[in-house]
Amino acid sequence: MTPAAGPHRLEVAGLSKTFGPTRALRGVRLQVTPGELHGLVGQNGCGKSTLVKILTGVYSPDPGGSLTVDGRPLSLPVRPAEQREAGVSVVHQNLGLVDERTVWENVRLGRYRAGRLSRRIDRKQERRAVEEVLARLGRPLDVGERVGALSAEDRAAVAIARAMQDHRPGSGLIIFDESTRALGREARSRFFDLVRSLIAGGASVLLISHQLEEIVEVTDRVTVLRDGAVIEAGVPTREVDETALTRMMLGRHLVTHDRVDTQAREEALASVRGLAVGPVDGLDLEIRRGEIVGLTGLVGSGFQEAAEALGGARRARAGGLTVREHELALDRRRGCTGDFVAAGVAFVPERRLEEGLAGELSVADNLTLPRVRSRGNPLRIGAAWQAEETAAMIALLDIRPADPGAPVATLSGGNQQKVLLGKWLAGKPDLLVLHEPTQAVDVGARHDIIDAVRAAARAGCGVVLASVDAVDLAVLCDRVLVFRDGRVARELSGDLDQDAIVHATFGADESGEGWVG
Amino acid sequence: MDAARQHDQDIEHDVSQGVSQGVDQGVDQGVDQGASHDADRGVPRRPVPGLASRVRTVSARYAVIAVWAAMIAVYAAAEPGLFLRTPTFQTIFSSQQPLVFLTMALLCTICVGEFVDLSVPAVFSFSATLLPVLVVDHGWAVWPAAAVAVLAGVAIGAVNGLLVVVAEVNTIVVTLGMSTLLGGISLWMSHLNSVSGLSAGFGRIALYEVGGLPVSFYYGLVLVAGFAYLLAFSPLGRHMRFVGASREVSRLSGVRVDRIRFGSFVAAGLLCGVGAVIAVAALGGYNPTTADSYLLPTFAAVFLGTAIIEPGTFNPVGTLIGIYFLETGILGLQLLGLQAWVSPVFYGGVLVVAVTLSTLLRRRRR
Repeated sequence: MTPAAGPHRLEVAGLSKTFGPTRALRGVRLQVTPGELHGLVGQNGCGKSTLVKILTGVYSPDPGGSLTVDGRPLSLPVRPAEQREAGVSVVHQNLGLVDERTVWENVRLGRYRAGRLSRRIDRKQERRAVEEVLARLGRPLDVGERVGALSAEDRAAVAIARAMQDHRPGSGLIIFDESTRALGREARSRFFDLVRSLIAGGASVLLISHQLEEIVEVTDRVTVLRDGAVIEAGVPTREVDETALTRMMLGRHLVTHDRVDTQAREEALASVRGLAVGPVDGLDLEIRRGEIVGLTGLVGSGFQEAAEALGGARRARAGGLTVREHELALDRRRGCTGDFVAAGVAFVPERRLEEGLAGELSVADNLTLPRVRSRGNPLRIGAAWQAEETAAMIALLDIRPADPGAPVATLSGGNQQKVLLGKWLAGKPDLLVLHEPTQAVDVGARHDIIDAVRAAARAGCGVVLASVDAVDLAVLCDRVLVFRDGRVARELSGDLDQDAIVHATFGADESGEGWVG
Repeated sequence: MDAARQHDQDIEHDVSQGVSQGVDQGVDQGVDQGASHDADRGVPRRPVPGLASRVRTVSARYAVIAVWAAMIAVYAAAEPGLFLRTPTFQTIFSSQQPLVFLTMALLCTICVGEFVDLSVPAVFSFSATLLPVLVVDHGWAVWPAAAVAVLAGVAIGAVNGLLVVVAEVNTIVVTLGMSTLLGGISLWMSHLNSVSGLSAGFGRIALYEVGGLPVSFYYGLVLVAGFAYLLAFSPLGRHMRFVGASREVSRLSGVRVDRIRFGSFVAAGLLCGVGAVIAVAALGGYNPTTADSYLLPTFAAVFLGTAIIEPGTFNPVGTLIGIYFLETGILGLQLLGLQAWVSPVFYGGVLVVAVTLSTLLRRRRR
């Protein structure tokens, strides 16, 4: 699509935003031409969300910037009424739909026309209006259907219809803020068909996404944000690939992880006997010092339950874990994982803010929690070792901001994950059980996390890595156990590559259902 | 139509607020440090907060204390002859011992995330009735009776704890029921009357004067200081904070969550029992029909405390300041000639304002 001449659909110039001592955005410029699909990318914390919040009037920017739509300046901070008048709308990550209500109610929410005296909503008129919008979108739906009953892409269509209903033909800008996250691969391509039909109708789209592959595939041009500043403004997408984009986002050459030699030693460290949990029935496993063992499979194959049982988070039906001289029964009901911690077993759970960290408490408090009793005396935790441990982990994992007192919830996802890993690494565990340790973290954080896990293995720690991420498994593991229906269907070792892992996971005869790669 | 538009704006606002949680809210704040770090990667450096944010933090911390000072100034100006005298302040600081123990008892469970123990005033009242009933009506010696009163508090706390922690019944339901039940038993024990006639010698454990104030005032100070120390510096306190923040995180970190939750109910019962014995000693007896009057002040002070010292967090020192803040306000209004209706209005009003404040402060911290 060639950008048309004339005024830009959206032009942002010199936009800055300061939060206290931090400058979240610095002189951001962004131009979206009419009928363009423009991508916006950047690491977690680069300022994308701040920019969207300024565009939607949630935040007011620092004085000095400007925002024009079709050549007409908008007042700052943006007023929602004016924004709607200008035809700028946002589709958020969770689509902002109410599952319990019908399609037409969702689309018209907040716009209902009511009778002057009766205050009654004219359903007929409302439904007709929604049918028209959906027809314009080329996606006729039963407007009386409950949104919760719709497929993922139909839900997306409802959200888009809601966003574009006030647009005049040949105008309007829709901002998709990570809206594709909830869609599967199949649904995603149909979603982009919808987006393209919007553009064919003359609207412009600003697509914010973590999926670089998607950005490269569908957008016309892309703008890259780094540390609150625009690094590349509107590069034609055909001139870049994913690697180049990653490099721009990170500001350093992407360090691709190669496999390194195994750290595994001959010395046995831990053994699992007869583990029965979920679909798993009778898993035996030996782990040597410094060895990294991957567990993977389809969702429901039992590898996740196995990892949770090994970490003490889930009660198994049967089984035992021996770590050095410590015997742990995996089938006991336990109020807490104190005996696992004492035996040198550390568990990094998948859901970091539900199971791993207390968001409202500080980085230092979270990091030191498992050891406040063992390293302190009953009356005093002691400040020195806490400060030392926290500083060491902040340095090891490059946690930012490097502020031990910051509440964990104020950190980005990647940094939270680093705090969670640091919380357990600081205790120098013998056996480290990781469940999706790089899930939803940016490229830089992933790099630091992989390095830290390797360093732990080098120091003699045994690692169990439960993950669906074939890249992580290939790069880190000495061997990978692929689960299917509760059994270890394949064991891969030696030179691992991700294709082999994916292939073994799906198997030749498997449908691939439930895979969340 | 206008209303509809406004409604829609609100919704859009809400939606975008909700979305920010998972993405990079607050990360924004880490950006600048991140940028300046590229040069010295790996060397942690504490960011220096700007003056503006420091002023904001300080003002959030001490806003209530400033209001307290302003309130004293207003009363002093309005009633200089009445308010600004030593007896006024003696009254404020000497009369609040029961409330200090009650609020600390409530803090025990609220700190570990139990929302909320409504039975605290009733347990207090039960122990406070039991002691004079045993001594005056049944002829017990005062010390064994005091011990039984304290043990009764502990036992009731343990029952609450069993029901909430082991049987997993909702805290409000259990404690509301317990509260009503105990209130009834107290009235039955006392035959709906006040029971008095304890010896003046026993009264000395509460009324013995030190520096112009009864010793019970200092008991409160010691209790609050000890509690604050426990929460800030001891392993138990750290565990309590984490259990309050997230049970699952605590459990997976080796914290004995259920033991701490149960223990906090027992501790709450203990504090109610001890507080009751001291209060009864000061009064020489007890009237169980006054039990209800403690409920609102207890909650008002605890919630007001979340706006002081550690904004957004339940904390003992803030609560203590909250107690004296409330008492100053009411005493001043009464000295201005307002009647008894003043105190429910004031306590109720402060409770609503305080809960709102603490909710807003918590939201800002997240």
